[in-house]
Amino acid sequence: MTLPANSTKSSELARIAAEAAGTYFSSVEFTLTHGYGPSPLPVIEPDPDKEDPSAWPTDFCHFAAAGLSVSTSIWPSAMSAFSGRVQIDPVKHDAGPETYSYSGHAVPNPGFIHQSTRQVEVLITLGNTHWSPTYREALMQALVIEKLTGLAGERGAPVLHLHTPVAPVPQISRSERGDGSNERLRDAIGPCLRFSIGVDPKMSETRLDFETELAALAEEYGFGLKLDDQRLNRVRGEWFTIRGFDRERYRQARNRLFPEASVHIPKRAVIASIVGPSQPGTTAATVQALRERGIGVLAASISSMRKTTFINLVLPVAADAPESFPQWTGGWHDALPRLEACAGPRPGVAAESEDRLIGDWKVALSPAMRCSYPPSSQQTGATATGRVPYPIWLWWQLPHRTVDTPALLAEVQAALQPHTRRCEVAYAQSRLCRGDVVRGRAKLVVMLAQEHKDHAAVQRLLTDAAEAAQLRIREWLPALGRVDPSKIRLRLSPRERWLMYAGISA
Amino acid sequence: MTVTIRGSSPPADPSAGGPLDHLRTLIVALPVPTAPMTFPSRDAALGLALMDLSLRLDHLARLSEQLTLVDRGHMSRSISVDVDLDLISGRLRDTLIVPGEAPDGHPSLWVPVSRYSRRDLAPVVIKDSSGEVVPRLSHRDANRVTAAAFVKLLHMLINAHEDVSAPASPIHQLRHTHQRSRWLIEAAITELIMVGSPAGQRLHTPLDHAGLLTRQGNSRAVRDLALLGLEALFPAEGGDRLLIPFARLLQLATRQYILVAQLALNRPRRFLTWDAPLLPAQHRPTPLRTLAKNALPVNREFVVEYETEIPRSVKAYHLTLEVRQEISVRRFLMSSDVDEEFVEVLAQDLESVARRADRLGTYHKLLELEMQGIASRLAELGRRRLVDLAGYEAYLARLPIPVGPGSAPPARRLSADEVIAALSAGDCSLDVLAAFCAHYAADGMQHLARSGLPGPALLSIAAGLRAAQVGRDVTTDNDPREHGAHAHWRRPSVELSPQSTEPVRVFAFMALADEAPALIENITRMVAGLALVVLGIGTFLAGGLEWLYSAKVSPDFVPEQADAVVAVLLLVPGLLLARLDLPGTKSVLGQLHKFQRMLATASVAVTTALAIAIATVQSDREMTRLFQVALAVLIFIVVLCLCEFYARRIHRGSSVPRSSRVPRWLRDARGAPGRTVEPDDFFDARGGG
Repeated sequence: MTLPANSTKSSELARIAAEAAGTYFSSVEFTLTHGYGPSPLPVIEPDPDKEDPSAWPTDFCHFAAAGLSVSTSIWPSAMSAFSGRVQIDPVKHDAGPETYSYSGHAVPNPGFIHQSTRQVEVLITLGNTHWSPTYREALMQALVIEKLTGLAGERGAPVLHLHTPVAPVPQISRSERGDGSNERLRDAIGPCLRFSIGVDPKMSETRLDFETELAALAEEYGFGLKLDDQRLNRVRGEWFTIRGFDRERYRQARNRLFPEASVHIPKRAVIASIVGPSQPGTTAATVQALRERGIGVLAASISSMRKTTFINLVLPVAADAPESFPQWTGGWHDALPRLEACAGPRPGVAAESEDRLIGDWKVALSPAMRCSYPPSSQQTGATATGRVPYPIWLWWQLPHRTVDTPALLAEVQAALQPHTRRCEVAYAQSRLCRGDVVRGRAKLVVMLAQEHKDHAAVQRLLTDAAEAAQLRIREWLPALGRVDPSKIRLRLSPRERWLMYAGISA
Repeated sequence: MTVTIRGSSPPADPSAGGPLDHLRTLIVALPVPTAPMTFPSRDAALGLALMDLSLRLDHLARLSEQLTLVDRGHMSRSISVDVDLDLISGRLRDTLIVPGEAPDGHPSLWVPVSRYSRRDLAPVVIKDSSGEVVPRLSHRDANRVTAAAFVKLLHMLINAHEDVSAPASPIHQLRHTHQRSRWLIEAAITELIMVGSPAGQRLHTPLDHAGLLTRQGNSRAVRDLALLGLEALFPAEGGDRLLIPFARLLQLATRQYILVAQLALNRPRRFLTWDAPLLPAQHRPTPLRTLAKNALPVNREFVVEYETEIPRSVKAYHLTLEVRQEISVRRFLMSSDVDEEFVEVLAQDLESVARRADRLGTYHKLLELEMQGIASRLAELGRRRLVDLAGYEAYLARLPIPVGPGSAPPARRLSADEVIAALSAGDCSLDVLAAFCAHYAADGMQHLARSGLPGPALLSIAAGLRAAQVGRDVTTDNDPREHGAHAHWRRPSVELSPQSTEPVRVFAFMALADEAPALIENITRMVAGLALVVLGIGTFLAGGLEWLYSAKVSPDFVPEQADAVVAVLLLVPGLLLARLDLPGTKSVLGQLHKFQRMLATASVAVTTALAIAIATVQSDREMTRLFQVALAVLIFIVVLCLCEFYARRIHRGSSVPRSSRVPRWLRDARGAPGRTVEPDDFFDARGGG
């Protein structure tokens, strides 16, 4: 084997190791919170020590779907003595009776090198109605996730992020302007799945094979497939449609594969967070093990932070399953029987699968929780009432150790308050980047205070609301975190592609 | 001379079979340790931070190099950098803090400022803007912390491996039960880094001198487990994921050292300067070629080529060349391979799509997406290189003797179909790419999947792109002085390979020449003067000009006062020669003047020989013939001088240097001949990694 002259991956390896190996530690500490409600809880103390590195999480991720939410914070740990690669324990939290918190430690994997890879982002459409998945659709979704991540795993390509449900993308007709100013507004959420993988740019054959097989899968199952526009100077949020959603074929595939699954909408769900050192192929292994046991996936948020992967899944609880599922933490193999119990009695459950990759990963399970499904329009545009939830995207960059992400999100919600009837955070993610800045992206779901059926009027209202809120936040932030106003960069927009490219997932 | 293109470059170390062979050799050869290596955890963190920063050097905002040609064969370099400590992020900064109380109360950091080949072990003194010497980390300490960093990295990789909790696996054994094997790997890494392994050499170990050691109870089991563990940790299959990055990191650590300066935090922006070790010329052209250059009237240019590497993150790079005032820099051109990786990835994409065109064709939109992605990148390349070409044309126009379009082919105006046809034929010349860019921007390339491009045509484009070297840019001289040159390279505003941290290779081409007022002009005047003296004396002696063309010999051609004529013929050339400032032969100027000096010497030799003849010859006939011969030789020398002028004119009018380091697209755009000429001196300042 010959050594290529390129040293990009080597310098990335050095960077990962240098960041992981602090002066006295090389592990990470994280907290996880499962709960109701779309607003993330603050993770830092009210008056934090600016110099104490463990007071400020470096990375943060929040995800809300079906009325349930997961928040994750992670930072380099001051402790390194624990057995195995991950440990996780429940903690008592005084935030509320229906909030379940966990804390843990993990060993990050420095060999998870993907900064130098080319990101291929995929948007899968699994329906064109509003989002309210049945047990059968949850199983179908689990199958699709398994197949997609399996395609990536076979090629050793890491899954950088995976989210479902996400905002669907309306078809743009040719006559519309390229800058998107006349583009139809997007729905806040829909039965869609968005995920990205990292492929070495030098291995274009791997990428092409992946894309071809993805298209073949789309044809087989009938789901809609969009790939990120790979043209130069195209930004995130611009999509290239490969296949439209084929409703009939999708329905047939679903009925053929899961003829016995219930067509009711789950009323309860558990949140399972599966945590371990990042490695390609782990998502596929997890979802496959679940699906083999008849467990579908209602919603998912998978991301890697500080080389540790968090697979957060909202799993439907069968209507005939026993009532009590207490909060639980433990190993992956011990979690499977509990999850099987959630899925309800099922004949012919698959045998123990060989999942060496995630054998020692740890799982945090919430109790069975009530689900709620937000109202949404069938397709973008005004419905009869005009009460349509719209997405607003947020991008920001702030100096580290000034304003933490939950506090910022609370500010954004407060700033949008005058214009909206409802404002929720659907997802948010931030991470510490080079130059000691925290960059993040979030999607907010807003319902405007004024009801309008006219598309152009709504568009104007949304843009005005976003701009006004943006100004307001920029005024508030310096007082909140004693942050230099010249170092604040923040953008709110009803269109994703008008945000700056942030280079982080979701 | 071959130009290696990244991606298809030969192995960095041809003698080593595998990426970690040196490490394996040491694992077999070193004594098995009985206790673990102890490195303070602070050292490991410092080593990792130094390694990380030294590979990227993204805290260097600007880099300047001043080159001085000391003599032919040696070049001295003075390097200056602008360091911005604020660009080092907080956590790394905490790690880099120099322990102990600073005398002025301000903490200071260890900051890597450059990487050097371990071959260049000359002392380096770093000074700041006030001229004060900046303390440096010793090589020994730098090596020690680097070794600690690798041991820590190994530990982290073992801890994060999925087999670490599988009891029978080698990784588990290395971590928990058979630690001596891990200590052995650690000792081998430490030894490798402390001692170093120069490029292209096989490690010489005591095992080379011993017969097969088969004694029972020896350390074979420990070594075998260490090798097995290494194989499990860095599997050869899918090696580009971890094995190659780790091996490359180790290779850089063993072949280069890091130059680390101690900088106080109270002044985050600093200007540092140091003299790099003297560079010897790498190779010279063949003696026959040198002889031909020196012995023919070709108006010798002295061509120097220089190659170095700069961190990809620097925003600006200045390269300045200083030569003696008598020498002119006729051409100075810099080319960097900043887009080479982008072109290589594009070419690989083209090849992959070509091979899969049938399969992709089933999914028409997928093929269209790929083709559009390729088209957008081709268009961008065309646009960039066109900007470079415009800069180069402006350079030619502002030369002291401007160079016109010359033999460059006139610009073609191509239609969209013609562009596609030209590209399909593998023609990636600049006018085709520029026309493609224009048509792409005007939405003329919207349905490429249905055009004739997908298929074998893509392979031709990939080959054409590589052959035309479109990944290389061109920066030209902007120094108004004639005896100096300066090129200012700026990082493109949009980096086409944004994730890459691979250093940018920079090539500089410098043609040094003797420009007006040049020695050849003086020598021509001198030879012409001598010819006139000979003509004058001959005419006086013969009493007319007939002796020049007629066979008739004047009866009293032999002078009565021969001494006076001899004195004139000896003194005049001597005086003229003394007024010429002939340089030493070792210097570059000496090389440039070699032929001219020969002409001057020859002309003096002719007059001297004539003087001797006058003193000794008594026959009118012989004397006349000798004068005729002397005059003929002098006129021949004058003709040689005129040839030199003509050759100089050709050199001055040459639009593109005939060097293999000048990108092919530029040579093609100006219709330059394909043959390249080797430089007189080539200096390679790359780190040797």
